[in-house]
Amino acid sequence: MRIASVVSATLHGAFLLWAVLSFSSRPFEVTPAESLPVDLVNIEDFQKMTKGAKDAPKKEEPAPLVEKVEPPKPVEEQKPKVEKKEVKTEKESAPPPPQQQPDAIADQIKKMEQPKEAKAEQKPPTPPKKPEKQQPKFDADKIAALLDKRDPTRNAAADIAPSSNSPGLGAARGNDKQLSMTELAAFKERLKQCWNPPVGADPNARLYVVMRVMFNKNGTVMRDPALVEGTASNFGPALADSGRRALLRCQPYTMFKPETYEIWKDIEVKFDLQEMLGG
Amino acid sequence: MNQVAQSVLPMTSADLSLFTLFWHAHWIVKAVMIGLLVCSVWVWAIAIDKTVLYARSRRAMDSFEQAFWSGQSLEELYRSLSSRPGHSMGALFVAAMREWKRSFEGSSRSFAGLQTRIEKVMDVTIAREVERLEKRLLVLATVGSAGPFIGLFGTVWGIMTSFQSIAASKNTSLAVVAPGIAEALFATAIGLIAAIPATIFYNKFAGEVNKQTQRLEGFADEFAAILSRQIDERG
Repeated sequence: MRIASVVSATLHGAFLLWAVLSFSSRPFEVTPAESLPVDLVNIEDFQKMTKGAKDAPKKEEPAPLVEKVEPPKPVEEQKPKVEKKEVKTEKESAPPPPQQQPDAIADQIKKMEQPKEAKAEQKPPTPPKKPEKQQPKFDADKIAALLDKRDPTRNAAADIAPSSNSPGLGAARGNDKQLSMTELAAFKERLKQCWNPPVGADPNARLYVVMRVMFNKNGTVMRDPALVEGTASNFGPALADSGRRALLRCQPYTMFKPETYEIWKDIEVKFDLQEMLGG
Repeated sequence: MNQVAQSVLPMTSADLSLFTLFWHAHWIVKAVMIGLLVCSVWVWAIAIDKTVLYARSRRAMDSFEQAFWSGQSLEELYRSLSSRPGHSMGALFVAAMREWKRSFEGSSRSFAGLQTRIEKVMDVTIAREVERLEKRLLVLATVGSAGPFIGLFGTVWGIMTSFQSIAASKNTSLAVVAPGIAEALFATAIGLIAAIPATIFYNKFAGEVNKQTQRLEGFADEFAAILSRQIDERG
């Protein structure tokens, strides 16, 4: 019996070791589904579906709202500085080379920061000849950004701006083009017309559901919309049902063009009761 | 809320290995898992032990039957076996022969109850042999029937934990629920891993014990018949 116990324990140990090794060598990799999140909130803030007039004066197109775009990574901001410093040390012995590359990168960064006034102020366009001004200053914003270890290509879930607006930091598997604001707004407007929020829900409670919808190419809903996440509440199921009904009732969604099908075939819609009822 | 989901999701997707599943579990679930693992080790130890024992016992029976029916005189067989009777059929034969001889050794020959005595002695020996063969088989039966339930207990506990985390974060996204459920299901998996071999081995061994017992009883009856004929001829 003792021999059998030893044999059995040894076999179990070997099996466990094998299981641990084989499991750890092949980690689970969850590829986030490429989806386009849509908030069903405050549509007026983005665009109103007003009727146009032919004789109206021509107006500048307002820039799309990009305040929620992922900020340029601080790691990349540091890079040009390091290069400039190296250039400076070289400069002591040799005449200044045509510093094309740092300028290009710096310009790129400035371009990316253009929509964000706050960042643009902190970094005036300094020529690389004055290195003493390039010393990294203490900056609370940058420290916060440096400590931010999150994946730079993470999806900005439930954000109105899809990742297509950031030029440098696309998702690894992204095949994003750009869905026009008008299409999104039209989609939301249509959904809002069809949506009957559940009666009796407290508008002050933070009630929301996120539904994932997949579309056919003709704009009809491919299958029953799936609940992605939602608030834990008594009204949660009713809210999810109302969202599902709204999505099914409004189809087909003809505002989406078939050429951009890759973008809108999989969309996450957020139904937010508080914003809808104005609580 | 979305920030929570984002920060939780990468961690869970990367850390679903066995050890992390184990370390993140509640201590009750951990105890369940360790207990089931010990059960599994014990079950396999018994299985190995019993397999060896039954094979050896079957071989011993075969060789004894060959010797018994070879025409060799029973006295000789008894003399060669009495020093080390071994188990199963050999023990049966030696017990019966000892009783037989004892009845002839005394000054007064007692044939009257000899037949009954020999049968009694052989019954006792069979019971002892069966007890030896069946030893620890009940452990297999217990693990086989209770293992899934113990694993289920761990699962229920883990699911309770994951529901508590839903309540704490007020969020039903998969990232909040999934780790608890994964660790919970791991407990059931271990329970089944322990229970399935236990059940299979128990059934196999129970059948084996049954077969060997019948073989012993058959031999006992046959031998009793032979001895009874001898008694009648002498008496």
